[in-house]
Amino acid sequence: MTFVQLAINGVALGAAYALVAIGFVFIINATSAVNFAHGDLVMAGGYVAISLGSLATLPVIVTLPLVAAIMFVVGVAVALIAYFPLINRPPATVFISTLLCGIVLQNLFLILFGPQARAAPPLIKSGMMHLGAVDISIQAAGTLAVAAALIGLQYLVFARTQIGRRLRATAQDRQMAQAVGIRAYVMIAGTFGAGTALAGVAGALLANQFFVYPTGGIPLSVYAYIAVVIGGWGSIAGAVIGAMMISVFQVVVSAYVSYAVATGLLYFVLLLVFFFRPQGIFGELVQRRV
Amino acid sequence: MASWLLTGIRLPLIAGTAALILYAVGFANLYDLRVLTLCGIYALLVLGFQFVFGHAGAVSLAQATFFGIGGYITGILATRFGFSFPLTFPLSIAGPVLLAVIIGTPVLKLEEHYFSLATLGIGLVVLLLAIQWSDVTGGTNGLAGIRPVQIAGFEVADRRSVLWFVWGIVALGCVLAHQVTRGFLGNAYHLMRENREAAASLGLNIAELRFGAFVLSAAYGGAAGALMAHVLHVVSPENLDFGLMITCLTMTVIGGRTQIAGAILGAGLIVYLREWFRVLENYYMVAYGTVALVILILAPYGLVGALERLRLLLPGTSSVARLPQPLAPPVRPALPPDAETLLQVEDIALAFGGVRALNGASLSCRPGEIIGLIGPNGSGKTTLLNVISGLYSCQRGKVVFLGRDITKEPAHSIARLGMARTFQHIHLADDLSVLDNIALARAGIDGVGLVQSLTTIGRDRRLETARGLAMTAAERLGIAEVAMEPCGRLPYGTRRRVEVARALAAAPRVLLLDEPAAGLNELEQRDLADRIRTLGADGITVLVVEHNLVFLAALAERLICLDRGKVIASGLPEAVRRAPAVIEAYLGSDPDMQELALAGPP
Amino acid sequence: MKIPPPRRMGATAVPVIVGLCLTAGAGNVANAADAYLPIVMPITGFLSVEGGSQRNGAVMALEQAPGGVKADFPIFDTGTSATGAATALDKALSSQKAIAAAVTVFGTEMVAMMPIAAEYKVPLLTISGLAKITESGNPYIFRFLPNDREIKVAHARYVVEVMKKTKIALISDTTAYGQGGFALLQEDFGKLGTKPVFEDNSIAPDTKDMSPLLAKVKASGADVIVLHAVSTPMTLITKQIKSTGLNLPIVNSSSIVEPTATALFEPAELTGVCAETPSAPESRPTPAIKAWADAYLKRFNLEPDGLALGQYDGVMMALTLVGKGAKTPEDLRAALQKETYQGVAMSYKSNGHGDLAHDADIVCWDGTSRIPKIVAHYAGEQLILK
Repeated sequence: MTFVQLAINGVALGAAYALVAIGFVFIINATSAVNFAHGDLVMAGGYVAISLGSLATLPVIVTLPLVAAIMFVVGVAVALIAYFPLINRPPATVFISTLLCGIVLQNLFLILFGPQARAAPPLIKSGMMHLGAVDISIQAAGTLAVAAALIGLQYLVFARTQIGRRLRATAQDRQMAQAVGIRAYVMIAGTFGAGTALAGVAGALLANQFFVYPTGGIPLSVYAYIAVVIGGWGSIAGAVIGAMMISVFQVVVSAYVSYAVATGLLYFVLLLVFFFRPQGIFGELVQRRV
Repeated sequence: MASWLLTGIRLPLIAGTAALILYAVGFANLYDLRVLTLCGIYALLVLGFQFVFGHAGAVSLAQATFFGIGGYITGILATRFGFSFPLTFPLSIAGPVLLAVIIGTPVLKLEEHYFSLATLGIGLVVLLLAIQWSDVTGGTNGLAGIRPVQIAGFEVADRRSVLWFVWGIVALGCVLAHQVTRGFLGNAYHLMRENREAAASLGLNIAELRFGAFVLSAAYGGAAGALMAHVLHVVSPENLDFGLMITCLTMTVIGGRTQIAGAILGAGLIVYLREWFRVLENYYMVAYGTVALVILILAPYGLVGALERLRLLLPGTSSVARLPQPLAPPVRPALPPDAETLLQVEDIALAFGGVRALNGASLSCRPGEIIGLIGPNGSGKTTLLNVISGLYSCQRGKVVFLGRDITKEPAHSIARLGMARTFQHIHLADDLSVLDNIALARAGIDGVGLVQSLTTIGRDRRLETARGLAMTAAERLGIAEVAMEPCGRLPYGTRRRVEVARALAAAPRVLLLDEPAAGLNELEQRDLADRIRTLGADGITVLVVEHNLVFLAALAERLICLDRGKVIASGLPEAVRRAPAVIEAYLGSDPDMQELALAGPP
Repeated sequence: MKIPPPRRMGATAVPVIVGLCLTAGAGNVANAADAYLPIVMPITGFLSVEGGSQRNGAVMALEQAPGGVKADFPIFDTGTSATGAATALDKALSSQKAIAAAVTVFGTEMVAMMPIAAEYKVPLLTISGLAKITESGNPYIFRFLPNDREIKVAHARYVVEVMKKTKIALISDTTAYGQGGFALLQEDFGKLGTKPVFEDNSIAPDTKDMSPLLAKVKASGADVIVLHAVSTPMTLITKQIKSTGLNLPIVNSSSIVEPTATALFEPAELTGVCAETPSAPESRPTPAIKAWADAYLKRFNLEPDGLALGQYDGVMMALTLVGKGAKTPEDLRAALQKETYQGVAMSYKSNGHGDLAHDADIVCWDGTSRIPKIVAHYAGEQLILK
């Protein structure tokens, strides 16, 4: 397999990670807290896709909007349980409440779906595509396309619409937004929902090739966290690039050295980033404001 | 004695402890003894975590890593080399401490989320090592056959002895934690985690305090891990993994972040929750997570915090408040008689992103002078104070204080040289009393730290002296009668004065006040102005940032006006107020507006 | 399934801590059962698939206890954790005098449970393959699936002697199961005079993209892939081998011979895949196994696997011995050590160290069904082709 082939595999997986990471950033921007249940919500999306798939044998591309809608509601529910009661507490408290939410979710999956790995139906169909010398599975190509479309869509919503401006205003300063008449709590709940919907879509896409299982979400939370730090805290574009970099880095390093080295080196590089560019690779250095 | 027992939540805690001991002695079966032993081990782990998470306010995700390293050191040394407890235990503490020392300095520089992720990353690297380096660590299966604790030929093998042994070490840990966090250092941590800038401006070395907390947490983690290895007879990668870290975090948050009783209660409750729910099979982790979440939401300050707050609702709460005797402040060595300028600021420039906050600002202050610093919003007044006091580092220019270039000095060193300040937004520790808030002004000067608090046996005379000095400052600002009240409950104007009193208690040569009159009524303003004026008479240089020209008019000998990061006028108050450049800066260049302003009452 | 009622949890009166302890220890009303045989297994956590199977096996045996024996068998979850396992076993054994305990498939948990079994002097009935648990001189460990040390010989011999492959790519994950099997296979291939041309035991169980691994396998020129991993990474590797068109035979470890794992494949994707397994009840090779497998399917609405059958036979052997007069744990320990028992899957007889099962099957899929066919049977030292 050539380097190009490996890099393409990395990018295809990275696209799904990017959706996960964007959802993660949404929630950070809305609440300034890390949502450590995010990976578990990705799994939840996978399980929703599987459940819908077992009701009717439809490809996921058809059920995807429904998955997103259901996950939006789940996200709002998580916000109501794990965030709003603690809204005036330090971010560390929310971090822990989401961790606990994650534990509850993982074990609900276990009860509802059993401990075994499950696969969702494919996006369109299974099989491989051949583009010149490069092979790519139809699922991976579809994942790339869906991720690109959603990334574009969220950009349009945030940059071009009234609701996007309100969301950004709330993210920047909740009290200020409330003062100018924005219903900040609705905005926060909505952002939580949107972030979770993206996680759910990512889950539905990943669940075909890579399965879902109750404990599968934890590494995804960690990857999203790393992607966001590499890309710059709160930056959506940074999160996408960060997720891609992690994925390609892991695939390439594990091809030329080993999986263990790839994982170890990823964290090592992360520490180097902290040391030399604490603002993230794409972040701007700003002194801590007093 | 009776009143000591009735203060706070001592009575239920002592009763609880007694009942627990009775239960362990009289009623516990083998399983109960094991569970109680596990509670002790986790309590030790959490006690350590409280230093870094509770006291220093840093969400470290490396506590499980320290625990695991401690366990692995015991496991490897005991099974491969046959070393016994007196040797393995100190080494199991030393190993994590060494790691904390090595990673501490770079990692602790990082801000909140970055710090958490960095510690998580280190933990994952260590976990990977434990899994992959199987020749030494036994890989994923771990190392089995670790003997019970052996000291001088005596083996701590039966369950009851193990229980007492573990809890004996926990008790030692509690004593040590109490010694470290009581009084001065505990208060310093309290202010530091609520407001880092305020703490640094009082001369507290934040980096050193955080480092100390991190290293202590590693030591406790290592000790707990070593004990776990002896109790379980096995070490495996699960001793290092994220699941354990989540458990530790949950225990700390649920028990209480800073209280010693919180560590024990949190560890006990979480261990027992799991045991109760074990019979629920598949549902037990759901039940456990739900209950923990409910406690987190209903008791956000932890169970001990909730108990303390409940206790406040009951009568007999306040212990007899004995106000300390005011002490005369120490005399600073006299300045050389030819000292013309105390503080010299030359050509400071600082930009945030593209915004130039300061653009060549210069000023100088003589000893005992009271200077008003004015300027329109965004002209850089507060930024200039932050540069002078070392909270910001400027990109160009120089600050000279007492003839010494302090441009590159950190905030806490500048504070210790004799510079104190207040903030535009009040930065006090709300839960601490007025007196303790003011007394913290001495913490940095007295060099409060781990070594000092560990070597202070019995009464803390430094704290007593500091409280005496604080009393003097409180009297001077007219707040002596509320000295024992927690700051959070006081009205705004009083809290302002607490802040000024705190700055004053540091016996500074220069006092920087950032909008001290904001939010005060006219009476309060006049009173505050009078009190500040007496400071100038004592030879303290005061630099006041203020919008309120009426307030300044009664106070300042000289005004300096900043606009767009530059000094545009300086001199006698009346002259500065009438300077065309100042009027233009405030009102724009519209001649009608200027006319209106000059015509109106001053 | 029998779920004991939750114990009273309301007693959180002041002082709180006391309440904590008293409630935890309370309960356990004496009942009329003849034998108390708790089940202590990973119901939650990473190994809950395997734990669920073995629990079902144990539960089925206890429900059908022979000779009029009435057993009480509460289930304790270990959470796939050594600490949890030790505590759970302690809880199970401290409340009543147990005749034996049916315990975890997970080696790390077994290692933590062993000192407790010795302390309470209660036999543990396990199916954990980890070699060292019966090799450390603890007389209370009884294993009803083959020791990994024995079954890996079958795995290696099938590859070398039957398939006649010499250029082996040996791959495992980083779990305890993976690392243990990897080391044994390395040793066994060495004894058979071959050295794998490619070795990798660093696959974390959450790895998703296996293409880097497959690129290296391809480059090594291997002619067979030997995998020893838990089901999720094994399934991913096997599926990705098939989808990238790397046309090599694959000989897996037993974790793929689980209905939950094969459910993730299209039957065609399993063409040319083989695996070792202690028994393959889903292929219903004998009338006894067929009857048992059908009963299992009916009881749990699940296809059985070898883990469930091994645990069933083990618990059934213990109950049979109890019915024949082993009234104390010590009687049972002695009987388990010397008696021979004809179970559903095979005949069980201790080798003196507590290893009672010595048979294994090699199964292969032909691409038409998810149910494999037995191609070889390994009994003791004999490899019998079918």
